Amino acid sequence: MAPPSHRRRAPRPDRRGALRRRVPLRLLLPLLVLVALAAMLMLRGYVHSEILADHRVQDPAPTTQVPKEILEGGPVIDARGGKATTLSVPDHRLVLTFDDGPDPTWTPKMLDVLKKHDAHAVFFVTGTMASRHPDLVQRMVDEGHEVGLHTFNHPDLSLQSKKRIDWELSQNQLALTGAAGIRTSLFRPPYSSFSDAMDNKSWPVTEYIGSRGYLTVVNNTDSEDWKRPGVDEIIRRATPKNGEGAIVLMHDSGGDRSQTLAALDTFLPDLKDKGYEFDNLTEALDAPSAHSPVTGPELWKGKAWIFLVQASEKITGVLVVGLAIIGTLVIARFVLMLLLSGAHARRVRRKGFRWGPPVTEPVTVLVPAYNEAKCIENTVNSLMASDHPIEVLVIDDGSTDGTARIVEAMGLPNVRVIRQLNAGKPAALNRGLANARHDIVVMMDGDTVFEPSTVRELVQPFGDPRVGAVAGNAKVGNKDSLIGAWQHIEYVMGFNLDRRMYDILRCMPTIPGAVGAFRKSALEPIGGMSDDTLAEDTDVTMALHRAGWRVVYAENARAWTEAPETVQQLWSQRYRWSYGTMQAIWKHRRALVDKGPSGRFGRVGLPFVSLFMIVAPLLAPLIDVFLLYGLVFGPTQQTILAWLGVLAIQAVCAAYAFRLDKERMTHLISLPLQQILYRQLMYVVLLQSWITALTGGRLRWQKLRRTGVVGAPVNGAVPSGQAYDDDRRPVA
Amino acid sequence: MTHGHPSGAAPVPDGPYPPPYGAPTDVARRPAHAFPQQHTTEPAAVEPAPEETPAAPKRPGRDRYLDLLRSIALVRVVVYHLFGWAWLTVLFPSMGVMFALAGSLMARSLKRPAWSVIRSRVRRLLPPMWIFGAVALTLLFMSGWSPGDDPDQGGGPWGLVKLFNYLVPIGAPPYPFEAGDLGWLTGGTWADDAVGPLWYLRAYLWFVLASPLLLWAFRRAPWPTLLAPLGLTAVVGTGLVTIPGETGHAVTDFAVYGSCWVLGFAHQDGMLKQVPRYISVSCASLVMAFGLWWASGHLGDGGWDLNNIPLAQAAWSFGFVVILLQYSPSWQELPGRLAGWDKLVTLSNNRAVTIYLWHNLLIALTFPIVDLLYEIPFMQSERGVEALNSTYELWAFAFVWPLIGLMILSTGWVEDLAAKRKPRLWPNGSKSKRPRTSAGAHRG
Repeated sequence: MAPPSHRRRAPRPDRRGALRRRVPLRLLLPLLVLVALAAMLMLRGYVHSEILADHRVQDPAPTTQVPKEILEGGPVIDARGGKATTLSVPDHRLVLTFDDGPDPTWTPKMLDVLKKHDAHAVFFVTGTMASRHPDLVQRMVDEGHEVGLHTFNHPDLSLQSKKRIDWELSQNQLALTGAAGIRTSLFRPPYSSFSDAMDNKSWPVTEYIGSRGYLTVVNNTDSEDWKRPGVDEIIRRATPKNGEGAIVLMHDSGGDRSQTLAALDTFLPDLKDKGYEFDNLTEALDAPSAHSPVTGPELWKGKAWIFLVQASEKITGVLVVGLAIIGTLVIARFVLMLLLSGAHARRVRRKGFRWGPPVTEPVTVLVPAYNEAKCIENTVNSLMASDHPIEVLVIDDGSTDGTARIVEAMGLPNVRVIRQLNAGKPAALNRGLANARHDIVVMMDGDTVFEPSTVRELVQPFGDPRVGAVAGNAKVGNKDSLIGAWQHIEYVMGFNLDRRMYDILRCMPTIPGAVGAFRKSALEPIGGMSDDTLAEDTDVTMALHRAGWRVVYAENARAWTEAPETVQQLWSQRYRWSYGTMQAIWKHRRALVDKGPSGRFGRVGLPFVSLFMIVAPLLAPLIDVFLLYGLVFGPTQQTILAWLGVLAIQAVCAAYAFRLDKERMTHLISLPLQQILYRQLMYVVLLQSWITALTGGRLRWQKLRRTGVVGAPVNGAVPSGQAYDDDRRPVA
Repeated sequence: MTHGHPSGAAPVPDGPYPPPYGAPTDVARRPAHAFPQQHTTEPAAVEPAPEETPAAPKRPGRDRYLDLLRSIALVRVVVYHLFGWAWLTVLFPSMGVMFALAGSLMARSLKRPAWSVIRSRVRRLLPPMWIFGAVALTLLFMSGWSPGDDPDQGGGPWGLVKLFNYLVPIGAPPYPFEAGDLGWLTGGTWADDAVGPLWYLRAYLWFVLASPLLLWAFRRAPWPTLLAPLGLTAVVGTGLVTIPGETGHAVTDFAVYGSCWVLGFAHQDGMLKQVPRYISVSCASLVMAFGLWWASGHLGDGGWDLNNIPLAQAAWSFGFVVILLQYSPSWQELPGRLAGWDKLVTLSNNRAVTIYLWHNLLIALTFPIVDLLYEIPFMQSERGVEALNSTYELWAFAFVWPLIGLMILSTGWVEDLAAKRKPRLWPNGSKSKRPRTSAGAHRG
């Protein structure tokens, strides 16, 4: 049984059950998305050698343990049978070998040159590069070249354990299999040179790799092309003496290889003229091919690997674009806010600024209350101190804690209490509207406290006959806790930057429920408050815009509210806000194609609000994902500096907002923590709203009412006294 | 931490990968008796169980939140000494937490005359330490250590004078850097492992002795007193000024944990509660961020082991403790699921000194026990040996708790005697309740 006292309406049991089952979704889906993102980023870091890369190189060691026949033998070392032998390439045969590729820029050009001169070569590819450019590996194999292993991410194997060596080889093979459907038996160790450079550290590795069935291929003619010594020099170094056979080392990756390419184009025809044949290794040795086709599960494993790497590359690309978009959006928004809010403040603070003739007529104040016994007395008393003539209507929405009786007991002459069965806040407001005696209606929450001048300040803009509604300035009263301070910053920024900007752009999305004023004559044609959405304040504000009314911000109409003190309350509040905003935008989507003021709002205001309130927060997690990635794997220092830069921009904006509102700056000290704890909470909430909207929210569009169930925290409902506290939205 | 003791030549434990290929591959199993991953330089944390103060009858019982923190800190110390994971020092700065708790209790007791408080603290600290010192010295002498001839101790009579620290730890008790083999105690560093943690008692003693003065200063100038140790750490803990010898260690330790100790005062006096939470938590996280930043630029052999980076340790511990104490909920009993740990928390709090004193020697003792597993017939295969190798520390971890339990049974009661209480064998809190309720039921 649900504790009924916390709900405004009896929950419908069927939906409640459905929601119960859906609960894990709100955590599960965002979590899955984040884990998938993180995994993709890790994979990308891995194949870009940002993770697990080991750039150490072994110092030279003595050669006492290396057999003499190896040191003096040929460049192909066969240690497969236990007894190590070496092979040399016969005279007038030349095996070109290219290390470290495939490279997307240079390898295709090298392949073109080789094809042009009808030459075959051997490419020792790394697993990382092969995974990233599988099509090039396929092309090598198709065009008759041989492919050999060069480890997965190019560590000095003499520094690695057997386990790591096995892993380097198998991972390298996996990439080859995925790219070209083959395995190879050729291997060249990273940082290798000639056979006579084998030493006590590298020889055991060679023996071990031989025992795993690989031919170790070093070289005996090093072009040293990576030093970029000039085309002629590369040719000179790569040319063997006296028509001897040779294995020539070149590189097709790791930087600008234009010299290698140019050298190749000259070298190949020249040596052909001297009678050389350019074969791949097994052709040169007259041995069976080093490639063997792979089928079955191994092949699929390889293909899956390549697919994942390709996906991670693409997703990372998309993410980077997303990050750029969000970065631009965030900065553009801040700049726009600074400019426009500055303009707004200058305009309304100009000497002699008036909306129109002073508004002195009495107004009606509507106080919808649901179980506000604790606060209602304060609320009403604060209204009694008002310096503007008012009539107060307290609409008791079926409270069970005697809220109505408390107000009646106060015995105030200009305060009326209207009782209704629990029907929700929009219904309570509509009932209040129907009973209001004056044309201007102020709406507030049952736990909000007004200053004496609040009502007067709030209604002054109605001196302008075009103004249909006014938003006041809601302030957080309990701002000494951490979560309170964060919301305080958010409110001050929301009211002093966002709202001023929206005022100037004429697309204020929301009149806060805690402090707002309406013309009854503007509300009546649009049918008053509606309970179509979870955010009736946003809904009604948009409707007013579409009816051609102006909605403005009155900075001096301050109302003091109590912000949620626990994460659960905050979560439920924000979930209703963001989901309600989505509903309202969706409800008013037709404004996009309307004519007149409605069309103007639809084509300017709606996209603007959608962009900043729905789309931008969705991309915001990217900032954190990249921050985390950069902290752990990337350039840590730059990442932190970039983050501090963004923080500084935010601090400047916040400080400006605080100055506009004449607030003490001390609360800004919690801004850094807000950025790493609070903001994330907010976008998880928004993500949850998106998920609700996309996974069946549409089906139940009309059924989703403010029952309190949707927004209620998982375990336990919102405590009483918080019933309407979700309606003092700082931003929208 | 701030000790400059050479860490000795303990065999390097296996990393994530087996030894590099090409390295001599002779060891199929760990050499027996090698204290592989003990890090005695970890300061550990403990103080005599706080007495139920008769002076403050208004406070019913003990704050179980603080007790829980003390238990977590103790477990963290044991785990750290066994596994040697540097990140544990970041995850939970046990030392700072323990000194803060001790400082809080000290401030509470100091409502009574300072001299009697100091006397009772020292009285409760020393007897358990004497027992441990007697055992440790016996072992050391049996292994052939002669403090008078040990050049590391200054040689001659100086080395003998330093033995006084085993009686009253004005300085950290001395021990040989290279201890001789003794039964299963081999490898030279066992003395460092066993006696090294005693530096903590010296630090604790210093804090106790300085407390009346610190508290006086704190009540006159709270903020300077709170932050002065951090400033001192920035001077003596960063190489700016180096004080040689044991005095240097003592001063550095005092500086590193001084702010935490004074935070205990601040918590006890309610000063922390007066600072708006958003300010304290925000500032604390800034201090912690500074600590991490400082650590990142001064990583030593131990990587992120804050015990080797005094300023980082001081800053991180300070911020961490501020947050822990700021949210201090003052539990009368452990809430929710934590209630299941009630007895263990009570036991570890009542026997904190015993656990701390002995745990590292007991860790050393687990290794020969784990080595016995290799003798089990069905573990002789290559896979069996491999399985044992990869779970070596886990086994040691499993064995160390029963050993600690045995030590509580055999020497724990000394803590009660020192506190002028009736000796108890296993004070986990359940004893006192059961007789009362059952007696009530029977005698009606």
